[in-house]
Amino acid sequence: MSFDKIRDPRKIRHQIGDMECDYVYTAGITGERFYLALRDEGKLLATHCEKCNITFMPPRMYCDLCFGELTEYKEVHPRGVIESYTITYENRDGKPLAEPLVLAFIKIDGTDGGLIHTVNEIQPQSLKIGTKVEAVFEVKGKRKGALTDIKHFKPV
Amino acid sequence: MSKNMKTLPGTPLSGKELKSDKVITFNWRPNAKYAWSAGIAYGRFLDELKEGRIIGRRCRRCERTIVPPRMFCEQCFVATDEWVYVKDTGTINTFSLSYLDADANRIKEPIIVAVIDLDGASPGIGILHKLGNVDPKKIDVGMKVKAVWKPPEEREGAVTDILFWEPL
Repeated sequence: MSFDKIRDPRKIRHQIGDMECDYVYTAGITGERFYLALRDEGKLLATHCEKCNITFMPPRMYCDLCFGELTEYKEVHPRGVIESYTITYENRDGKPLAEPLVLAFIKIDGTDGGLIHTVNEIQPQSLKIGTKVEAVFEVKGKRKGALTDIKHFKPV
Repeated sequence: MSKNMKTLPGTPLSGKELKSDKVITFNWRPNAKYAWSAGIAYGRFLDELKEGRIIGRRCRRCERTIVPPRMFCEQCFVATDEWVYVKDTGTINTFSLSYLDADANRIKEPIIVAVIDLDGASPGIGILHKLGNVDPKKIDVGMKVKAVWKPPEEREGAVTDILFWEPL
């Protein structure tokens, strides 16, 4: 009896603790510009490398290929194409969600990159790779300078 | 630096500025919880303290009664065999008068800590606890003491459910 394994420490007298490993993340120079444009103007900014002809979304400060500094910012249309998606029925902690959530990688038109975001206003069964979608912005004043300033993407 | 870069770009930020609105920040605390369990033996020991009892484990091989209880006898390398209650009286094995509190502040009235060999447990087996209601000058090794318990409704299953030990 004494060797019965107890696999759940909460079944006997125990102590619950919280690991306070907080962190603060800053977006950096380019990220800051990207989020400010999103918050204040409702715009998506990308950076462009002339030499390699790559448009970075989200914007990067340096080109992946030539390591050159990118100073050319351009506004891109907040729409794109679903390149990949998944439907999730659980939240981050494994609890069931009231409504399934569609997460997609959306290649933004006119760029070589894209954003991972939620897709709404669509029946999950009619989702397809290649579906054209556009961003639905949060109203100005409620925007905080985060990717959630885009509420979700919806089919065009 | 490189051919294209002469100075480092960027903005140094102080801890204060990080907490201000100067830059956009993302704050996060991972949901990292832990549950630390007292184990089978010590968990039962604490549960029994809540009921005002002290429990130990007996090893039939070396015939020792071990308090606080352990599920394994470290002398015989075998599982211990049975639960046994011991008394809440005992004998002072050793003691110390401390004129410093837990934060190392000097104090007038000493905190008296003692190892108390419990009646019913094997010789030399007991618990470390505090003494009270006693003149520090009159404490001696070999003195008989008895536990002073918290009222039942205040007990929470911790060694502090015994307030202190006083001379019998």
